[in-house]
Amino acid sequence: MSDNFEPVILGFLCNWCAYAGADLAGVSRLQYPPNLRVVRVNCSGMVHPDLVARALDKGVDGVMVMG
Amino acid sequence: MDLDKCIACGLCAEKCPKKVDDPYNAGLSKRKAIYLQYSQTVPLKYAIDPDTCLYKIKGKCQACVKFCPTGAINFEDQGETRTLQVGSVILAPGYQAFDPAALTAYGYGRIPDVVTSLEYERLLSAGGPYQGHLVRPSDHKEPRKVAWIQCVGSRNTTPGGNSYCSTVCCMYAVKQTLVTAEHLGRGEQSQTIFYMDLRSHNKEFERYYQDAKAKGVRFIKSRPHSVEPGPHNIGVKLSYLTMDGTKAEEDFDLLVLSVGLEAPKDAQAMAEKFGVTLDHHNFVKTGSFSPVATNQDGIFVCGAFRSPKAIPRSVAEASAAAMEAARALVEARGTLTREKTYPPERDVSPDEPRIGVFVCSCGINIAGVVDVKGLSEYAAGLPGVVAVENNLFTCSTDTQELIAKKIKELNLNRIVVAACTPRTHEPLFQDTLREAGLNPYLLEMANIRNQNSWVHQQQPEAATAKAKDQVRMAVAKVARDYALERGAVQVVQKALVVGGGVAGMTAALELAERGYDAVLLEKGPKLGGNAWTLNRTWKGDEVRPFLTDLISRVENHPRIQVMKNAALKTVNGSVGNFASQVEVDGALTPVAYGVAVLATGGQELQPKEYLFGQDRRVITHQQFDTMLREQAANLQKANSIAFIQCVGSREPERPYCSRVCCTHSVTSAIKLKELNPQMNVYILYRDLRTYGLREELYTRARELGVIFIKYYPDNNPRVFTDGPDLKVEITDPILQMPLRLTPDYLVLAAAIIPNAAQDLVELFKASVNAEGFFTEAHPKLRPVDSMVDGLYLAGLCHHPKPLDEAISQAKAAVSRAGLVLAKEVMQLDAIKSQVTEKCDGCALCLDVCPYKALKLEEYRDNGHAHRRIVSDKALCKGCGLCEATCPKEGVTIHHFTMDQLKAQVDAVIESLN
Amino acid sequence: MISIHILTLAREIGVHRNTIRNWVKTGKINARPGPGKGLLFTPEGFQALCQEFQLQPEHLQFKVLTRLSAPDASPSTANPLATREEHVSEKVIGSVMVVGGGIAGIQASLDLADQGYYVYLVEKSAGIGGKMSQLDKTYPTNDCAM
Repeated sequence: MSDNFEPVILGFLCNWCAYAGADLAGVSRLQYPPNLRVVRVNCSGMVHPDLVARALDKGVDGVMVMG
Repeated sequence: MDLDKCIACGLCAEKCPKKVDDPYNAGLSKRKAIYLQYSQTVPLKYAIDPDTCLYKIKGKCQACVKFCPTGAINFEDQGETRTLQVGSVILAPGYQAFDPAALTAYGYGRIPDVVTSLEYERLLSAGGPYQGHLVRPSDHKEPRKVAWIQCVGSRNTTPGGNSYCSTVCCMYAVKQTLVTAEHLGRGEQSQTIFYMDLRSHNKEFERYYQDAKAKGVRFIKSRPHSVEPGPHNIGVKLSYLTMDGTKAEEDFDLLVLSVGLEAPKDAQAMAEKFGVTLDHHNFVKTGSFSPVATNQDGIFVCGAFRSPKAIPRSVAEASAAAMEAARALVEARGTLTREKTYPPERDVSPDEPRIGVFVCSCGINIAGVVDVKGLSEYAAGLPGVVAVENNLFTCSTDTQELIAKKIKELNLNRIVVAACTPRTHEPLFQDTLREAGLNPYLLEMANIRNQNSWVHQQQPEAATAKAKDQVRMAVAKVARDYALERGAVQVVQKALVVGGGVAGMTAALELAERGYDAVLLEKGPKLGGNAWTLNRTWKGDEVRPFLTDLISRVENHPRIQVMKNAALKTVNGSVGNFASQVEVDGALTPVAYGVAVLATGGQELQPKEYLFGQDRRVITHQQFDTMLREQAANLQKANSIAFIQCVGSREPERPYCSRVCCTHSVTSAIKLKELNPQMNVYILYRDLRTYGLREELYTRARELGVIFIKYYPDNNPRVFTDGPDLKVEITDPILQMPLRLTPDYLVLAAAIIPNAAQDLVELFKASVNAEGFFTEAHPKLRPVDSMVDGLYLAGLCHHPKPLDEAISQAKAAVSRAGLVLAKEVMQLDAIKSQVTEKCDGCALCLDVCPYKALKLEEYRDNGHAHRRIVSDKALCKGCGLCEATCPKEGVTIHHFTMDQLKAQVDAVIESLN
Repeated sequence: MISIHILTLAREIGVHRNTIRNWVKTGKINARPGPGKGLLFTPEGFQALCQEFQLQPEHLQFKVLTRLSAPDASPSTANPLATREEHVSEKVIGSVMVVGGGIAGIQASLDLADQGYYVYLVEKSAGIGGKMSQLDKTYPTNDCAM
């Protein structure tokens, strides 16, 4: 792995809390690394394990489920 | 400010040269003279502070005007006076926090590390001045040892203080100790609360307090008399007396003053304007039986402007006030509101996706970081995309017109908007789609502002790459969007009320007055419930006349059907459309209704301790009230009467406070002293909880010579007989010695327990807490809605409460029920679970569904028996726990189907290849 | 004409509202049913009412719903309500003004708007949310106040 490795992180964010929190980070101009890709879900409980496995299997470096 | 033009980009505040203390953060941080009140403020628009704006005070600057990209700021604008014609008014101006500067002994304003509880709230908040890193003002170090002083400005009859209890401070202080402990994490830390009586009286509060104790929070019953700064003006030194009279001194890193609540400073001006009467604390005067009505017809009051109270009671009162306001205007309902109409929807299901992508520059908010031109070109090459536009502001009215025009011209059938967050702007764009004849669910948004350009300001290339990924994911999802219908339920405009006490009767009567039929079930032969046993409310009003009037109004109302000796036997259906069988004297009657109010009440516990049932001189509160009503002369002759508080309450078996008993004992003691001033009246208590304005009764009782003796649960009073005498022995914690009383009567403040309602819990699939009280949908924000849609709670079945609170809760329940009953057809959300043909009836999803919206059904196909799941659209909330549980995609959620989520995941992965 | 809410009158005199209705029917009090649940009195009828039941006109003045024509010899020209009454019409108006945009004001507004009433929510600061928006967490669940 090279020194400039940039992981791709997939996040499943609950619309009602974590996604709202990510929006708020924007309004507050908090800066964070641009490695996260977000899938908005209606509830973090709707994330099927298969989705997590599928993402990791196909090469995503990390998965976050936030809610 | 032109609110239609402001896009809340914040350039104005960035360029504004004037910094001022930010009142939102209690002055602990700075903001500009043009500002957002707070980052989630509604409406999300900047405002100009006329008191500090340089242009407003000195006539020059206008930097904001120059930099505003949308021309939203216009200093020529003048304030305007508008005349509103309204049918009712609700006053909800709230409270102001007590300013402790006048109480000089506490050192506020003199010692840097003394803060008010509201300032401390900001210090703890992630949106606060230090982003939630807990530091003290003096040296910006973490305070490891924090103290709270309670009742600052409350329960204080000296000048500068308020004589009443502010009701909320005990609990917010306990909360702050627990949150502080979380902030500080590992390492040495301690939290100490100095209190007079710990008043954790509302639902689940006592448990919370006991939990804090168990976690090591120190509670010291004492009111510190002086506060001095620590060395170099850092930290504080507290001096106080302990219960046994010993003098103590202790150093703390930070001191929080638990300041009380006061009527807002413009209370009198407002009261004069509206002609409403205030009490001597400047709170609005209201009656025992009409808790939200003012002396003016048509003007109602709710929240802390009536008396200090916590959020749930404010919310319940707000609904009660809404109910009262609406009842007066029944005939004009719907006359000033209107429904928007839309053209018919185009059926896009047979067509291949023709996707239009609209990329927003948001002035320079997005375009300043993300290469929007490159992004637009990229989007044009994505599968299914036939049109891409880049707009300066996609949310502007002219762009809405452009989107509608493009949909028609190019026959677009799916839309992606790459702009800000769907949480604020999705409804706007959905509306645009509907106006152009498209189903609103054929839209996706790519959040390239809040979750991209704003948070990656220094990395334009990475931000652009991320934006491309975001748009690709949105395109992949939108291609799989399909039209959704919002389901509808026919509403039976009739209500069922279970329980014929004051709460149930009030609910039935208010429903009937609002024009809805109500069926009132009472399990016994008589309406009235516990109110028959009460003499007076804590405000001194007689209960009987009110009660008999209420009963006659309920029994004679043409819209109310009263069923006595009745039991609910079955419940079918869901919100808007319930059907039940009611049994009266062995005969079953069917009842159909759209909503139900549960007011099944509670009862006084029959104590097992203190010789109750063995010695006739030992009686409960209800028995005492009966004696007072029927044999006052006997009571008057007594030399001595004692009360024991918390009998059966605040014990391991029942870890809750019954709320009404302290006030009841205190008012009873006052009554006895008035009957016979020579009588010795003792109240043996743990924490005296005369919350709110009731505190003045406690003060009055002490003035009359009622003797209050505190006891601790590990040292309960001992009650025994000595010859003919009844004896009560208790160790006085101040005198540090045992006292022996010989009362003529011993009154036990027995707990309130809920009436058994297990059958209703099962019939409605509702839930109760460990003690059997019905659970509300949200402890703060939905205090009268039960966990089941269309089912509301009122009175003692929810938690012990005095009569006025039961009445306001019943009125609130009617307001909440009115939301369903107001419409003949109730629209449901479109995002619901959908069972697919892959379902084989394994039923794994049944248990995980938190809303009990799924059922298993059997059906026959070609002579074979099969099983499958059916989803009740009225109950489903679209959370998708079923979707995540199902091993074979047998159930899915519209707009978040497995197919769509997979497509989004795959779209991320494309960037890796 | 002076209009008084039937319930107000019932409360003032200390009888049930149906009793008042009966009195109107039998002519015991000289009034006729007005808009809403108001009773309409002539100024003379109003004075007679006050005399018969020993009500204080100054006190009742605060409870008067409407004056449909210019009041004669009104004892309350200094009454702040006088200016309010000028705008009051006979029609029941399907809108409500809620003063204060904290959690209570917001909840009241939502309940009303969802039932078909037009709501004017009046807030003195630049955003709604009130004191609750300044809180970090709320007890007893430690939920975020936002």
